[in-house]
Amino acid sequence: MMLPRTVRAFTLLAAVAGSATAQTSADGLLMPRKVFSTGVIYTHDSWDQYWEGTLKRSNGNIGTLTTRSVTMAAAYGVTGGLTLMASLPYVWTHASQGVLNDMNGFQDLTLGAKYRLLRIESANRDIFSAFIVGTGAVPITKYTPDFYPLSIGTGGGRAAGRITLNFLPTSGWFITGSSAYTWCSNVRLNRNSYYTDGQLYMTNQVAMPNVLENSLGTGYRRGRWQLPLSLVQQRTLGGGDIRRQDMPFVSNRMNFTRIEGGVMYALNIPGDFSVRVGAGHVLSGRNVGQSTTLSSGLFYAYHF
Amino acid sequence: MRITSRIRSEVSRHLGRMSGRAVLSLCAVSLAVAACDKSVGPFEVLPPLQPSSLEPTAGSWRMIALSGPTQIAVAAPTAPTSAAYLAELDAIKTSQAHLTDAQRKSIAYWSGGGVLRWNQIVRELVARYNLPPAPRDEGGYPVPDAENPFGDPAFPFANPVYAARAYSYVSAAQYDALKSAWYWKFQFNRPSPAKIDNAIRALIPVTDLPAYPSEDAVISGVTVEMLKSLFPAAVEEVTLKAAEQRNAALWSGKATASDLAAGLALGKSVAAVFLARAAADGMRSAGGSPTIWKAMADSATVRGEIAWTSLDNPARPPMLPLFGQVRAWMMSPADIIANRPDAPPSTSSQKMKDETAEVKRTVEHLTNAQLAIAQKWNDGAGTYSPPGHWNDIALEYVRDANMSEVRAARAFALLNMAMHDAAVGCWEAKFHYFNPRPSQMDPSIKTQIGLPNFPAYPSGHSTFSAAAAEVMSYLFPTGTDSFAAMRDEAGISRLYGGIHYRSDIDGGKALGGRVAGFTLSFARGDGAP
Repeated sequence: MMLPRTVRAFTLLAAVAGSATAQTSADGLLMPRKVFSTGVIYTHDSWDQYWEGTLKRSNGNIGTLTTRSVTMAAAYGVTGGLTLMASLPYVWTHASQGVLNDMNGFQDLTLGAKYRLLRIESANRDIFSAFIVGTGAVPITKYTPDFYPLSIGTGGGRAAGRITLNFLPTSGWFITGSSAYTWCSNVRLNRNSYYTDGQLYMTNQVAMPNVLENSLGTGYRRGRWQLPLSLVQQRTLGGGDIRRQDMPFVSNRMNFTRIEGGVMYALNIPGDFSVRVGAGHVLSGRNVGQSTTLSSGLFYAYHF
Repeated sequence: MRITSRIRSEVSRHLGRMSGRAVLSLCAVSLAVAACDKSVGPFEVLPPLQPSSLEPTAGSWRMIALSGPTQIAVAAPTAPTSAAYLAELDAIKTSQAHLTDAQRKSIAYWSGGGVLRWNQIVRELVARYNLPPAPRDEGGYPVPDAENPFGDPAFPFANPVYAARAYSYVSAAQYDALKSAWYWKFQFNRPSPAKIDNAIRALIPVTDLPAYPSEDAVISGVTVEMLKSLFPAAVEEVTLKAAEQRNAALWSGKATASDLAAGLALGKSVAAVFLARAAADGMRSAGGSPTIWKAMADSATVRGEIAWTSLDNPARPPMLPLFGQVRAWMMSPADIIANRPDAPPSTSSQKMKDETAEVKRTVEHLTNAQLAIAQKWNDGAGTYSPPGHWNDIALEYVRDANMSEVRAARAFALLNMAMHDAAVGCWEAKFHYFNPRPSQMDPSIKTQIGLPNFPAYPSGHSTFSAAAAEVMSYLFPTGTDSFAAMRDEAGISRLYGGIHYRSDIDGGKALGGRVAGFTLSFARGDGAP
C-alpha cells in the first residue's frame, strides 16, 4: 500500500521506506495479482530547528514541533503489473513551547495507480523494471492551511506523475531511482489578503507552486527481509522564503534533502502479516524543519 | 503548460496497454492538471477615475495641519499662449507619438486614481514591515533603528499602532495638500493640455478640473515624502512610483511639465509641515524604557491586580507602551484620559474567572466557522494590520462612489485619523490597566492565532473597528448595517482566537465609538458638502 510521502511538508515529513506488501509510490514493487493488502502506519516526526529561508534557527515560541500520524493504507493487485493504492492519514501537531493551539484531524485522501511499463529479465535472472505512477490527493476535512507550522497539511488538491526505475539482481541488492512531478491546486484561506514572496496579494486564493521530487535508493531484498535505504530530494518550484521572524506560509518554497531507511519483515504466522519500521532525517533544507522521522507499520494481505 | 502536455502525451502512449480502470483514473489526473490555472488576481481592480464632481469648493474645506490653503504659496502659471507653455504642449505630443507598452501600462495603472493607488502601496509596505525583531542569540531583542532601516531588524516594525499612525499621516497630508491644490487650481483655472490643444489626446478621462497645479504631482510629492520618513528602506521603490505617477499624468495629456512641477513643489512643502508635526508627536519615545515598563507593572500590582507579562519566549518588551501619549488628531491628551474606558474586571474577581473560562471553553470547542472568523480578522504579524483591513474595506466603497481625488483623500483622512486616535486611546488604556491576556491567567488556554505582545484591555481590534465603522457609516450611510456587522465580527474574532476576554471587546467597541465622535464632529463642520 502507498505510504503518505507528503509533498511540501513543513509539519509532516511522513512515513518512510517500503516493503513487499507496503508499497510507497516511489519503490519498485507491485502487489501480486488479486492480492489485497491493508495496514496501519504510525509516524512520529519532530524538529526543534528549522530553516527560515536559508537561515537555520530555533524558535522559543515553538520549541519542538511534533507531528504524529496514523495512516490507513490499502493496495490491490489488479494484475501482476498494475496496483491500485489508497491512503488516509489522521494527523496531530503539537508545539512544546508557546501558546499556539495544537491541530489534528483527517488530512488528505490519496488514490493512485502504479503500472509496470517494462520488465526485462536477463539470462542470469537479474531484473530491470520501469514503472509509472499516477496519484491524486484531496483533503477530506476542512482543516486550515493558514496556521503553519501547526497546520496538518496544505489544504489543497494534488496530482502527481512519477517514473521509477528498479534494478534487482539475483544477489538481492537492488537499486531504485525515482522522479515525481506534483501539480498543486490553489489553496483558499479565510482571509482576503496575505503577503508572500515580496508581494501583497489581495485575494483569499494562494497559488501553490508545483513540486519536483527525486530519489535514489538501494537496499537488500531477500526472502522475508527487505532493507531499503534512500536519499530523497524535494524541490518546490516557486514560492517565497519565510521572512525574518515571520511564521511559515503554505506556499513557501519548501525544499529538503532527506535520508531514509527501513526494515521490513514478513511474519512467519498464518495470514500473511508483515511489519516494518523506518526512519528518516532531513540533512538540509529551506523553509522546512530539520526533522527526524520514525515510523512503524503492520500490514495484512488477503488473497482472493 | 508545455510540460503538462508533454507528460500527457507520454501517458497516453501507454494507455493502450493498461486496464480500463487505470486509464480512467489517469485521465482524471490529466484533466485536472490541464484544467489548472493558478493565476490569482487581479486585485482590487481600479477602473479609470471619472469623478462625479469637480469639487470646486474643496479649496475652502477645513484644514488639518495647514493654517489654510494659501499657507504654501503657488506662483501663477505662464499664460497658455506663452512660448514656454506651447513648448510644454509640444513635448506631450512628442511623448504621445512614441508611447511604449510600458508607458501605456503606467497610464492605465495610475488612471485608477492616485489616492487609491497609494493606499494600496502603503498597505503593501505595512505588510512588508509588520514583523517583530527576531531575538538575539545572546538573549533579548534589538530595537528597530530608523538610522539603519535596512538592517536586521528592519525599520520600522510596522505593528498595528505604527501602522495606524502611518496610514493617518499619509492620508491627512494628502488631504491637506489636495485641498490646497484645489484652491490654487480654481484660482488660476488653467485647463488640462488635452482640453487646450486638440492635437493632444486624452488617454484617460480628462475633466474640466483646472490642471495647475497637477493633483497627480501633488499626491506623488506629498506621499513620497511621508513614506520616505515612515518606511525609509522603501525609498527607491516609492520614489520610482511617484515619478511614474507624474509621467503618466504627462503622457496621458492630463498635465504639462509646469503643472507637474508646481504640484510636486506644493506636495513636498505640505509634507514638510506634516513631517514636522510627526517629529514632535511623541512617537520617538513611545518605546519607553525598562524603568517605565517596570513602573507600569508595579502600578498594576499596587492596585492588587495581576500585571501583564510577555508570553513570548524569550520575554519581549511591550509594544510601544507610551503610544498612548502620542499626539492624536482630533483629541487632546485630556480628551484621551477623559474617554479612557472604565477598569476591566479585577484579576481576582469572579467575573474575570468566568470570562477566562469563557475563552477556554470557546477555543476548546471552536467551530470551523468561528476559526474562519478568527483568521479573517487576525491581521497579525506580517499583514497590513487591522487599520489596513479597514482601508481595504474602504477602498472599494471610495472607488465605487466615483470620488474625486480630494474627496477620496477626505474619506481616507477621516477614516485613518479616527483609527490613529483609536490607537492612542486604546494604548493609553492598555498600559494604564496593564491587564493580562487569557493565556497568562490560565496557561492551558492555547490560541488559534498569534498572541499580541501587549496588555489585553481594551481590545485594539474592537477599538479600531468601532471607530472605523462609525466613520464609514458617516461616509457611506447605506453601508451602516454592514459596517456594524464587520465591527462586531472583528471584535468577537478575538474571543474566538483565544486572545481576548469579552470585557476587552465590549470596552474597545465603546471606546472606538467615542473616539470616532471627535472625528465626526470635525467632519460635519469642515465645509465639505
